Amino acid sequence: MSILVAQVFRPDVRHGAALKGCATALAIVASLSFVACNRGGTTTSGRPRVAFVLKTLNSPFFNDMQRGAEDAAKKLGVDLVVQAADREIDVERQMQIIENLLQTGINALCLTPSGSREVVPAVVKANRANIPVVIVDTRLDPAASSEAGAKIASFTGSDNYEGGRIAGRFITSASGGRAKVAVLEGIPGHETGDSRLRGFRDAVKDTPDVQIVASQTANWERDQGFNVFQNMLQAHPACNDMMALGAIEAIRAAGKSGKIRVVGFDAVDDARKAIEDGTMAASVAQFPDEMGRVAVENAVHALRGEAVPPDVRVRIELVTKK
Amino acid sequence: MLTAASQARRQAEGQARGQTGIQARAGLRFRGAGRRFGTLAGLVGLCLLLWILTPHFLTVANALNVMEQTSINAIVAVGMTYVIVSGGIDLSVGSLLALSGVVLAEALKSGWPAPFAVAASFGVGAAAGLANGLGIALGRLPPFIMTLGMMSVARGAALLVTDGRPVSGFSSGFRSLATGHVLGVPSPIVFTLAIYAAAALVLSRTRFGRYVYGIGGNEEATRLSGVEVRFHKTIVYGVSGLTSAIAALLLTARLNSAQPIAGINYELDAIAATVIGGTSLTGGEGSLGGTIVGALIMGVLRNGLNLLGVSSFLQQLVIGAVIIAAVLVDLMLKEKRG
Repeated sequence: MSILVAQVFRPDVRHGAALKGCATALAIVASLSFVACNRGGTTTSGRPRVAFVLKTLNSPFFNDMQRGAEDAAKKLGVDLVVQAADREIDVERQMQIIENLLQTGINALCLTPSGSREVVPAVVKANRANIPVVIVDTRLDPAASSEAGAKIASFTGSDNYEGGRIAGRFITSASGGRAKVAVLEGIPGHETGDSRLRGFRDAVKDTPDVQIVASQTANWERDQGFNVFQNMLQAHPACNDMMALGAIEAIRAAGKSGKIRVVGFDAVDDARKAIEDGTMAASVAQFPDEMGRVAVENAVHALRGEAVPPDVRVRIELVTKK
Repeated sequence: MLTAASQARRQAEGQARGQTGIQARAGLRFRGAGRRFGTLAGLVGLCLLLWILTPHFLTVANALNVMEQTSINAIVAVGMTYVIVSGGIDLSVGSLLALSGVVLAEALKSGWPAPFAVAASFGVGAAAGLANGLGIALGRLPPFIMTLGMMSVARGAALLVTDGRPVSGFSSGFRSLATGHVLGVPSPIVFTLAIYAAAALVLSRTRFGRYVYGIGGNEEATRLSGVEVRFHKTIVYGVSGLTSAIAALLLTARLNSAQPIAGINYELDAIAATVIGGTSLTGGEGSLGGTIVGALIMGVLRNGLNLLGVSSFLQQLVIGAVIIAAVLVDLMLKEKRG
């Protein structure tokens, strides 16, 4: 029996454990010192600090938005902190980032909500800290924000409903009014994707031979666009370009290039290239850099106590092969 | 024959409870304390460093902020610690969190009184966890495979129940579970401490707790000494399902919304907190005191990197490096002691 006990409960290693703790601490210190050297002096300048919390930083759309925001910040002489969660759909993490940034005494917050309802509590916290909040790209849920008393200084974004209608009208005319359509939706319950889908459905509903035969979510992501589309391979708008590009690869893999028209949303660089190559029929262009620029400008105006427009619609246009 | 067997078993149990057992338990607690101290040194070092680097870190408001943010991962990590100490792994915790969250939300939305809705949600989480346990204990499936399957099953179920959409908008009374304060302390922190106190007591002071260590240390020997291993193993996964459901309750109240896509990658955070906290992935050793410190290290790191305005990409890199460093050192030390 003592053999069992000895095996089950291994001998004490407390010296090792303490050593391990020190080594862990050292590893952390080493990595943070590296970080500290890297960050540059953003806190000591005395200039206003504007935080821009994006949905993600691994999509060209938000990279463009970040660029626009940085240009505006430079011009206006404010410090800009850009942060995003690892994953676009991670609302809890986005909320944590906002809470953490509020601790640093930022002067204004620009935010692309990862969830229209879920970030409302974070906006309320920003309200309590008395800083102006500019919402970008995705609207807050009106019911949730009025119920929680969340206030925003301004909204900047594309008219996604109109974008969906543009895509619908394009498919109707390009197909001569006869098409079987598969839709790759964004994250369900997500305001931008839902608006696009509504616009699209409204645009095609009066053309009886344009039928939506399948409509499934691919969560905004390229690899999911590939997989979902491979499964429903049939003609076809996607609610954003990343999913559309995934779908194009699926079409290519099935040897059906050119037989299926793909319409994306965002007109990111890869999508523009695909349109020139002829593998994508069209994409509804948004102008994220302009959104980023306008949002930072409005945030700065708001923190200076100047009047800002409550709702800015950034232009939108259809990109097709020239 | 029968008498001899039962006599041997009684003897085994007697010895497990007897002097050797007590010595072993004392050693265990001692070692647990040593480990906790080691990991704690890491946490303190990290806090000191952040205190030097930014004036925003060491404030009461930020300390409460960090602990509040850590609470959800910390609670999921309770069940994960039980599972890993028992020599298993639970990849389904994030999906179980999503499933119990949407069950809770749908029940509240269809007008159930909050206590019933919470009970239903905990029931679903625990039942799915027990199903994991049965598959592993009775079906002899590797825990990795069983919980990987459950990860997808529970995620699919959560999406089906809600049609893929978040369910949101609850009463302010319900939301105060996560947004309220008890004597100035945010309620998620109070919940977390209470759960850790209870779970640590069970793990270190009860027979069930000792069996969990025993199963993780040497399952065969534990079984031969007369412990109903399959039963206790099943319960361990049930505990993990339950703690996921408790975390779901807090997350749902915090975001005023339950999302079927919530909790993605939470298993990785929980495993990281557990392992940084000194629990061995091979089972048989570890403590909840270590786990809560591990969870705090992750929370403080994320908070501190946000405060410093570090690039989001660099944050991922740093967190990953810390996890690897912690486990690497653990392995090296094990090799050293042979």
